[in-house]
Amino acid sequence: MTQDRAPQATRSQANPQAATASTIEEQRRAIRELQTPVIQVWEGILALPIVGALDTARSQEMTETLLQRIVETGSDIVILDITAVPVIDTAVAKHLLETVAAARLLGAEVLIVGLTTRTAMTLVHLGVDLGGVTTRTTLAKGLELAFSRLGLEVTRRAGGALRTAGSEAAGASDRPRGLGGNASHDAARHGAERQDA
Amino acid sequence: MARVPIIRVGDTLIATVLEDLHDRDALQLQEDIGAALERTDARGVLLDLTVVELIDSFLGRTLNDVAAGTRLLGAQAVIVGMQPAVAMTLVELGLELKGVRTALNAEKGMALLRRLIAGDETA
Repeated sequence: MTQDRAPQATRSQANPQAATASTIEEQRRAIRELQTPVIQVWEGILALPIVGALDTARSQEMTETLLQRIVETGSDIVILDITAVPVIDTAVAKHLLETVAAARLLGAEVLIVGLTTRTAMTLVHLGVDLGGVTTRTTLAKGLELAFSRLGLEVTRRAGGALRTAGSEAAGASDRPRGLGGNASHDAARHGAERQDA
Repeated sequence: MARVPIIRVGDTLIATVLEDLHDRDALQLQEDIGAALERTDARGVLLDLTVVELIDSFLGRTLNDVAAGTRLLGAQAVIVGMQPAVAMTLVELGLELKGVRTALNAEKGMALLRRLIAGDETA
């Protein structure tokens, strides 16, 4: 074993270029994996935030990963978040539309979220037709739409928000929560909420 | 080449492709579905492509035609179980099958078909 390892070490020392190349290749692979994080946000709903520029190779890889995840999770809806894509031009739009079409062939509906006024105007000026694709401005709105498509509804439980606020405060210190301890806090928040409404 | 069996369940026809389709099989399938729709009063067709791993432009177009033909014969068509690689190939070929309804698997496909048929009836 030690004899096996020793020559390898000397080889990599003797050939630093090869070592650098393999390190770069490793990092490249890591970046590739990191750039397509397909997240299951709910049963039947996947989210794919795209960060950075979208070229052909990346878009293809992204679509592959996405389709794989759709099959694995049996999802009905995919939310494609393009908030962090710096430039949306005709080429990027074409890639996005291809991803949408491929996912649709598997029976999944794709919502594109994160469009800004500027992006929308650019797309209109370029004459890019995103027709047939549902778009929303924010991920939150996309998620809301996804819930409604699946017949789900998010409602606030009576006093639910208060309990969350209390549990966050208690969570920081690991002390058990006393009902009395949070009562005044709760009342204060409740008052504030009523003022808002 | 084995023909694609078309089974009738209630008002639905289920065609499960058992192996990769060649051109002639695809045309035969198209004809068989048409004939079955004429013969029966089926309102929907479920086409299961789970085992299909190879697809070309001809087959892609034929799938489109099957769906369009089904609609003309007064029924709804849903294609289910398409493999990711097949979906990507179709998109690369520029065949996005825009007019075809799709679902991930037979179960979801049946649910979709039921909704479509119900929609037909109310319309």
